Amino acid sequence: MSPTTLPSAVVTPEQIETGNSLWYDAWSRLRKNRLAVCGGATLLVLALLCAFGPFFTQSYQDQNLDLGASGPSAAHWLGTDTLGRDLFSRILFGGRISMMVGLVATFVALAIGVTYGAVAGFFGGKIDAVMMRIVDIMYALPFTIFVILLMVFFGRNIFLLFFAIGAVEWLTMARIVRGQIISIKKMEYIEAARALGLGKRRIIFRHMIPNILGPIIVYTTLTIPAVMLLEAFLSFLGLGVQPPMSSWGVLIKDGAEKMEEFWWLLVFPGGVFSLTLFSLNFLGDGLRDALDVRSSKD
Amino acid sequence: MLRFTFRRLLQIIPVLWIIITATFFMIRFVPGGPFTAEKAVTPEILRNLEAHYGLNKPLYQQYFDYMGSLLRGDLGPSFKYPNRTVNEIIGDKLPTSLELGFISLAVALTIGITLGTLAAVKRNSWLDYICSSTAMIGICVPTFVLGPLFVLTFAIHFQWLNASGWYGPSDRILPCLTLGCVYAAYIARLTRGGMLEVLNQDYIRTARAKGASETRVVFKHALRGGLLPVVSFLGPGIAGILTGSFVIETIFQIPGLGREFVNSAFNRDYTLVLGTVILYASLIVILNLVVDVVQIWLNPKLKFE
Repeated sequence: MSPTTLPSAVVTPEQIETGNSLWYDAWSRLRKNRLAVCGGATLLVLALLCAFGPFFTQSYQDQNLDLGASGPSAAHWLGTDTLGRDLFSRILFGGRISMMVGLVATFVALAIGVTYGAVAGFFGGKIDAVMMRIVDIMYALPFTIFVILLMVFFGRNIFLLFFAIGAVEWLTMARIVRGQIISIKKMEYIEAARALGLGKRRIIFRHMIPNILGPIIVYTTLTIPAVMLLEAFLSFLGLGVQPPMSSWGVLIKDGAEKMEEFWWLLVFPGGVFSLTLFSLNFLGDGLRDALDVRSSKD
Repeated sequence: MLRFTFRRLLQIIPVLWIIITATFFMIRFVPGGPFTAEKAVTPEILRNLEAHYGLNKPLYQQYFDYMGSLLRGDLGPSFKYPNRTVNEIIGDKLPTSLELGFISLAVALTIGITLGTLAAVKRNSWLDYICSSTAMIGICVPTFVLGPLFVLTFAIHFQWLNASGWYGPSDRILPCLTLGCVYAAYIARLTRGGMLEVLNQDYIRTARAKGASETRVVFKHALRGGLLPVVSFLGPGIAGILTGSFVIETIFQIPGLGREFVNSAFNRDYTLVLGTVILYASLIVILNLVVDVVQIWLNPKLKFE
């Protein structure tokens, strides 16, 4: 998903020479968007830090009880928490969980949303009407409340968290995919695929979905921050990721409880979390402009 | 118009029925009852408790009993607060949450529409950049970071306001500002987008050509069309403010229904959880209906879509 890998994965050398492929155009537009590039770079740095940083810093469980909670210093860049644990490595470890929730839950939402939307759009008629009416109704439901209920009653299991969040966030994706599928359904190459006698599943997944990847990528990038926000919201209420595991939501909750004496426990995790959301949103907006996805959803 | 409203009203009934039934059975299939957390009681006392609340009847019987009393507007007794009914608890706590919600919504609309209109009218000026980046900050700094930061700054550092509580009018400032800010940001973005689209339309040029003043063009002609995206956002926005109040009420220790809901879920207070979910679901579904009707009233073209 990072912008540096996006074109090289899709664009072949010949296409670069002619320079008229959709992906090449999009990449050159994206490169000119300074905010989006900054967002992408920040994300890359944060992701690398969270992925590999913990191999080099102290373990998040290492305690220095003599120190207790101490402010930022040379030894502990972002200070330590009340149990004498290094905050920087805790943020990195928490970031792993937060980002994992962001990616896995988004993937769940993506899988449900794309399939649902594609089926509704492809078959049309009554099937479409019923399926989209269900989506309309679900839009109006207080889903956060249901996620809370699920987490409370069925134990605060991290895998349940992935699926609960994913099951909530697929609605917009389904709407977008349906709209796109309808708009390309009557195109000649789909007719050709039909005329060749290809199965419905093959037409949808091999011929239609690759052609609407643009909007799918854009809304995936915009779903990740929404998912991470929901995870942190639940963790803040004590319903998401459970200690001793930590996520940014857990760290923010801890920090908010102790901020009166130890401001850094709130400010740094909150800052890193907001920075991540910023980067994702800027990158998503940039991709939307670059891939020329109109903001209208149907 | 009337037919549309009526049809949507009829749709509400099955939706609410599904929500109530799903929640009811979800809660009952969960391991552990409302009395398991309490200090060990003898089996006899447990049986008496269950008999008193009707928990020893077959499940379908409990379901029909509950639906029956629900139709009479009775949400049953609370399991965790002896001698109190769910109706009483909701009646006690709901006004606080409603007050929080309405002030926050007002804050969000005022700040959001003002910033968004300013940004659209002075497009690509420094004012636009300031408004747009403020909106981005509002979207990316979640309430549970913003709230504690406000407390840290205004209550602990400057000591202008109380850090928590819900007594005097000044106690309303921080919670409502925190909850309102996020939605103000969304509303500002939507207003800017909607206004930009409208300001390019022919009828705006006509109004300008006829010599209408800029204020008149903006407020009289453009704003009504430009606010359409904001109206359609109000449905999800209101739902968000309702659920957002869970966090706000926790941070600022406000005795509202949101905090009560989270506590009751932790305590497995079946009837209170059910009652609160039913109330929130009905509120959200009904408000969505109102938003839909207002939208069609503002933009009759939508009726044919």
